[in-house]
Amino acid sequence: MSVPKTYISGLGIISSLGNGLTATARALQENRCGISPLQLFPLQQPPLPAAAAIDLAESSLPRTHALALTAAKEATHECTEAPQAVIIGTTTGGVLTTEHHLTAGLTDPQAYQYHGLTTVAEAVAEQCGCTGKAFTVSTACSSGAVALALALQMLQSGEVRSVLAGGADSLSYLTYFGFHSLQLVDPEGCRPLDRHRCGMSVGEGGALLLLTADRPENPFAELLAAGLSCDAHHAAAPHPEGKGAQQAMVTALHSASLQPEEIDYINLHGTGTPDNDLAEAKAVRNVFQNPPPLSSIKGAAGHTLAAAGAIEAVTAAILIKDNFLPANRGLQETDPELQLQPLLKTQQQKVSSVLSNSFGFGGNNGCLLIGRTDHYPAPELTQKKNDGLTILGTSCITGAGLTEASMDRLLHNSKVAGQLPLDEISAILPAKNIRRLKRFSRMGLALAHEAHRDSNSNEAPDNIFLGTGWGALSETHDFLQKLRETDEQFPSPLDFVGSVHNSAAGQIAILFAATGCNITSSGGDYSFEQALCTAESMLTDDSPAAFVVGVDEGHPHFSPLFDPSINTTDSLCDGGGGFSLTRKKIAGKVRVRPLFFQRSFAADSCTVKADAYDLILAGIPAADKKKGEKQLAQLRQKTGKSTPVLLYRELTGEFASASAIAAVMAVHLLENNVHHSLQQKRILLLGLGRCVCATEFSIQ
Amino acid sequence: MDELTAQLKEKLIKILNLSDVSPEDIDENAQLVGGELGIDSIDVLEMVVMVEKDYGIVINNKEIGERVFSTLSALSTYIRDNSSTFSS
Repeated sequence: MSVPKTYISGLGIISSLGNGLTATARALQENRCGISPLQLFPLQQPPLPAAAAIDLAESSLPRTHALALTAAKEATHECTEAPQAVIIGTTTGGVLTTEHHLTAGLTDPQAYQYHGLTTVAEAVAEQCGCTGKAFTVSTACSSGAVALALALQMLQSGEVRSVLAGGADSLSYLTYFGFHSLQLVDPEGCRPLDRHRCGMSVGEGGALLLLTADRPENPFAELLAAGLSCDAHHAAAPHPEGKGAQQAMVTALHSASLQPEEIDYINLHGTGTPDNDLAEAKAVRNVFQNPPPLSSIKGAAGHTLAAAGAIEAVTAAILIKDNFLPANRGLQETDPELQLQPLLKTQQQKVSSVLSNSFGFGGNNGCLLIGRTDHYPAPELTQKKNDGLTILGTSCITGAGLTEASMDRLLHNSKVAGQLPLDEISAILPAKNIRRLKRFSRMGLALAHEAHRDSNSNEAPDNIFLGTGWGALSETHDFLQKLRETDEQFPSPLDFVGSVHNSAAGQIAILFAATGCNITSSGGDYSFEQALCTAESMLTDDSPAAFVVGVDEGHPHFSPLFDPSINTTDSLCDGGGGFSLTRKKIAGKVRVRPLFFQRSFAADSCTVKADAYDLILAGIPAADKKKGEKQLAQLRQKTGKSTPVLLYRELTGEFASASAIAAVMAVHLLENNVHHSLQQKRILLLGLGRCVCATEFSIQ
Repeated sequence: MDELTAQLKEKLIKILNLSDVSPEDIDENAQLVGGELGIDSIDVLEMVVMVEKDYGIVINNKEIGERVFSTLSALSTYIRDNSSTFSS
């Protein structure tokens, strides 16, 4: 049996090369460069070359949102029906606006309402009328490619018929100075694969692809396959032999049932940093005995970070449609050490298949295969039922302590709200692994560590799914504060590396040598649920075990500004929950299954059984109290009014990943059901407010 | 041990968060990067920032960087030879 094909039915793109498909295709054909000294925001030193998007219309929303919305509009302009899901890869979200507000000293939380990554996906979903999942993937510079990989899985499993997916990131002080602090910016402008290359040009852009299971009359191309992997090697540097990159390419080729010699063109990640280009070259040579024509377009469009994978997927579709290969702009003298011959000029030729690489911090790799429509057979179906996951081990961190201390209180309806001292979290972790980590990553690592210990398994999970509403707030705060305090001279490179949302998942991968799929989701108060849904979508029947973690840190300055449920007067709460899971069914173990996830709540379409649950654990963020209470009342009409409800945030306190703690509580209640007081042996976890999502926990 | 080397040991422990290391544990002639302290390329960049901020010396060349950060005493010598602010 084969999987349904995935058609690229709409494309939208904006970058330094232009606004729209036509402008982008022309710029690539003419081998034009969008890189010039940065003028987007004021700087105290002479500006370095950067790639700012051009022809972006004025918007009241932050720049990342505007880039995503521009691309979304173009990708859906012929659409008669709203896409059933939206998946956006982004790392910066509203940070440029946040930076301006912080510099101006604004203290009104309203000013920071678009800081969160999830607000980009929400804005796109709102614009195109999507009422289903609006998910956010944040895996640094592979985000766009990983978002498309997730969309592909959701379409191939039949979960949805259409997804609008891609990536967007705006330039910001954080990324401009961050890469500069790592000495990864080429003052001459990006020269990928050049002998004298010395870094990237940071860029921005937005690109979205409308992917459909139904064949439109004239598809642009097909998304054939994706391969994801993690280096599990270093927080920022690639594996020196390109091991993870190689694995991602091999997985993508294998999924599409294609041989390396069937690939017409490789679109390299090719950032222009000495280490990336060398590692990628080694990986390419290991996969391709005789590599096909190849180039990096980052010497033309800059490195657009989370948008890059999507911009290059759109580029691949353009090449297949217009039959040309883009030049490796910026390259003067090929580096002999790479042993590759990148295209020096635009080349006119028929293109039927493109392999496109994207790699990011945390060793996060994504490889996409894009092919000419109707040219390749549909790949074989990978066994995947989407019928839930078995929980092998759990862990949690609350203000009351680690798992045992927290559960002792929670199972007796006692409060656990607060912040556990960092020393207590660090004590369970290997000292050498945490020296450079601040609160968010230490908590994430501790949760995985404890969940694995609790599983009593000899085999460590290979796949990692982490949800976080706000990511590494300490590192982001400290980087920006030092930047301001030292007149833009001495921000900490360590803080920049640690500031990405996928920093914790990258550390977990290193600790457990987990080289499989590694996805960080960020969905505000529903981040843990997004991570769980992502695991459910990505894991096949024979996938090795996985971690699913939900974690957030409370930050004294940023949390009250960013999270509308947290008041400046409240004491901070944080923590999270961790799970080790497998697809396999195991008798006597709790199974977890995401039931639904909706942006726009329609009680009628919610599939929850009546009188089937012993308990409802409901999460209503303080900022959405009225809305959430109304939704709960409507849902209780369906579940049966006699089912008891516990509003878990009253015990955990207010923070984005509180639902992960409630999920651990559900597992412990079912496992400890010695007196058989839970007759249905089923607990429903509800997320309410801006989204409505339901997750079922059961034991048989 | 001279004053500058002692000062650098304290700074390294602080900026690299070597919480279980005391100044006496650092051998100024031992390999600094990739050695026992677990210092790698990102730590080097953190040290680059410190050297520029505290001693006014810019290190933005990989070859010089590798030489300067080979041992703590090499770093100390380089700072003494190139800093206008530090005199010992």
